[in-house]
Amino acid sequence: MEMDPLEVFEVQMPGEEYGAKKYREIIMDILQDLGLIRSIGRLYVYVDILVPYFAVFGMIRGKLPPLRVRDVGDLVAAEGGYQITVEDEEHMAGLIRALWEAYGREKVEQPDRNVLVVLSDQSPEELVVADLETEFRRDLMDALVRISPEGFRNRRNEMGKESFFFLAAEETITPELVTEAKGKIGGMRDA
Amino acid sequence: MLDPVMFTGGVYKHDLVTELVEDLGGYLLQKNVTQSEVILLMLVPHEDMPVLEALTKELKGKLERAPLAGTEIAVVTPTLAIHHLPHPACDVAEYLRRHGAKSNMIGMSRGVAKKIAQMDEYETALINEHDAVVFTFGNFADCILKKEHLYRTLTVPVIVTGGPEMRKEDLPYAFEYVPNVGRIAHRSRKATEIGSLDNIVAAVGRALDSVRAEISKDPLTTTPPRVMDAVREQVPDVLISHSPLPIALNLNGLRIKLPYEEYHEAVAGVRFEEGVTLGEIARVMPSRMKDYILVRILPTSETGFVV
Repeated sequence: MEMDPLEVFEVQMPGEEYGAKKYREIIMDILQDLGLIRSIGRLYVYVDILVPYFAVFGMIRGKLPPLRVRDVGDLVAAEGGYQITVEDEEHMAGLIRALWEAYGREKVEQPDRNVLVVLSDQSPEELVVADLETEFRRDLMDALVRISPEGFRNRRNEMGKESFFFLAAEETITPELVTEAKGKIGGMRDA
Repeated sequence: MLDPVMFTGGVYKHDLVTELVEDLGGYLLQKNVTQSEVILLMLVPHEDMPVLEALTKELKGKLERAPLAGTEIAVVTPTLAIHHLPHPACDVAEYLRRHGAKSNMIGMSRGVAKKIAQMDEYETALINEHDAVVFTFGNFADCILKKEHLYRTLTVPVIVTGGPEMRKEDLPYAFEYVPNVGRIAHRSRKATEIGSLDNIVAAVGRALDSVRAEISKDPLTTTPPRVMDAVREQVPDVLISHSPLPIALNLNGLRIKLPYEEYHEAVAGVRFEEGVTLGEIARVMPSRMKDYILVRILPTSETGFVV
């Protein structure tokens, strides 16, 4: 489904108007810190402080393709192999690790800080450097744990392909509580 | 009457300031040297302030009133996790420091949540060694109401901070409540946020005034700065302590950052010009903070004299 980044962002906390306003800011700050805003399309947050529990439901914007060698550097065929020139060093460590795994350490050379040479006649073009989808999900989980109030130590997390549901509570999470939280979120989505 | 002031200026010739303050009968509480700049926290006799102001002008320094100087304030957060730190608790602690207070940050071991929050005897006793305490709570009104039992048994004035507006009568055990602080995930930089920090400083000032008023009903046998001077002179080992502030002042005594077992007899034996020792006019006991020495000066009603 096509969605704009955070096109829907709703926070409901019955009886805690100030808390709802402030938690909007906290969520924005944390998603911004972790660079997740562009990956989330819709976000619904429901908190019942009297029970208490904290529920988040979000829709993920599209699937992130895995990062390949051709995405992180310029690949040219050189004498006896291939040369990769990397501009952005963020994925350098992952790139070297992937090349070592595929060709073996003795076949990979680094004559310069941002240049790698592979001594092989097989092109490394399609080699996967980083699995962005897994990284995104790990960062998202980190963000949700940071966002939910700290005392809510019992957590339940349902990570789907297109959406995620997160529930945190102070007491043990029962099936009834999950149903109630999902019902409230459903109400927000239908409204 | 001593005025608490903060001098900020270059390191060059700053010893002229410390010498002048000593000559005037004032006290140097703390000296912080940061590269080429020095910050001095001092108590100066009110009537001699113009002399110090003139010298400050000559040295091109800055002299500010530091209303919280000579006090120790605890800033308590429910835990030391990322949810509560560094914002806003560090902002509060730093802001109190800028106004001259010695602020200590305390994270409770089990202070989180609404129903399971608790504070143990050690934490209570540690907080009670301070002059006032600031509790930083979150954004939910219901939680702030339910967490009252954490500070109900404290004997020092409690400033509660949180997000929503609350009625004073709902928090009978708090000295004051400061709204619009709450949990935030960024540094305090907006004018409204800085304004809230100013409100906390003002509330702490009022709390300390109430403690001072209480003490003045039965004055202490001697003043904490005078004890500090005598300890510095007669227990010189305190000067080579690694703490940034080897002697921390409270309104009713002081904390000396030396091991209790090794030094408590030397501290109790500190003698004043009038012939009495510190052990006779104060209680020297182990502090809850590390293995430091805590000194509580006895009131005149117990000793029967003033030195």
